[in-house]
Amino acid sequence: MIGDGVEVRVLRVGKDGVRLGIVAPPEIRVHRREVYDQIRDANQSAVVSAGQLAQVAERLTKAK
Amino acid sequence: MNLAPAATETEITVSEAVTFPDGIPGFESCRSWVVMAAESATPLRRLHALDGADASFLAIDPRAVLENYRCDLSASDRRRLGAGDDDALLWLAIVMMEPSGALTVNLRAPIVINPRTMTGQQVLPHNCLYPLRHVLVDAE
Repeated sequence: MIGDGVEVRVLRVGKDGVRLGIVAPPEIRVHRREVYDQIRDANQSAVVSAGQLAQVAERLTKAK
Repeated sequence: MNLAPAATETEITVSEAVTFPDGIPGFESCRSWVVMAAESATPLRRLHALDGADASFLAIDPRAVLENYRCDLSASDRRRLGAGDDDALLWLAIVMMEPSGALTVNLRAPIVINPRTMTGQQVLPHNCLYPLRHVLVDAE
């Protein structure tokens, strides 16, 4: 158990490794770290300033 | 609410602040967001954080990008959004301008907003085959 209500279970043990499962209440989100980090990095790269908004508008106009 | 066909802008709008209980990855402290028109960058919309950080994003309905776009919400995602089967949801995929000048859209982790509960989140499906950077407009 981790904290209140989060449980780590060993689902399978094999020669290639151990398969773990996470059981958590629905209000707690469970993600693989690398998936979360990938989306986090993408979000941080995607923030636009007012100037970039104008640039994007220009790119869209040219593309139409 | 009627959903417009994929090629035209969706009719779902939210005029007030939406609560994101977990923020979005990288902006976890931003819990209050607004969806606005993006002025000259239509059909894109602007997703702006009201608290936590000074963050603005451009976004587009993923179904306007790929006609057959489909992202399944898990039962716990639906619970978090307070979304019943009949709730029409607002889908927004974040658009990014690449260093090359290309515009790409994150189809892998869309933002989903339930206008009825004014709650939203960025969904991270477990096995999503859509690209993180789908090209919307090529580099020049």
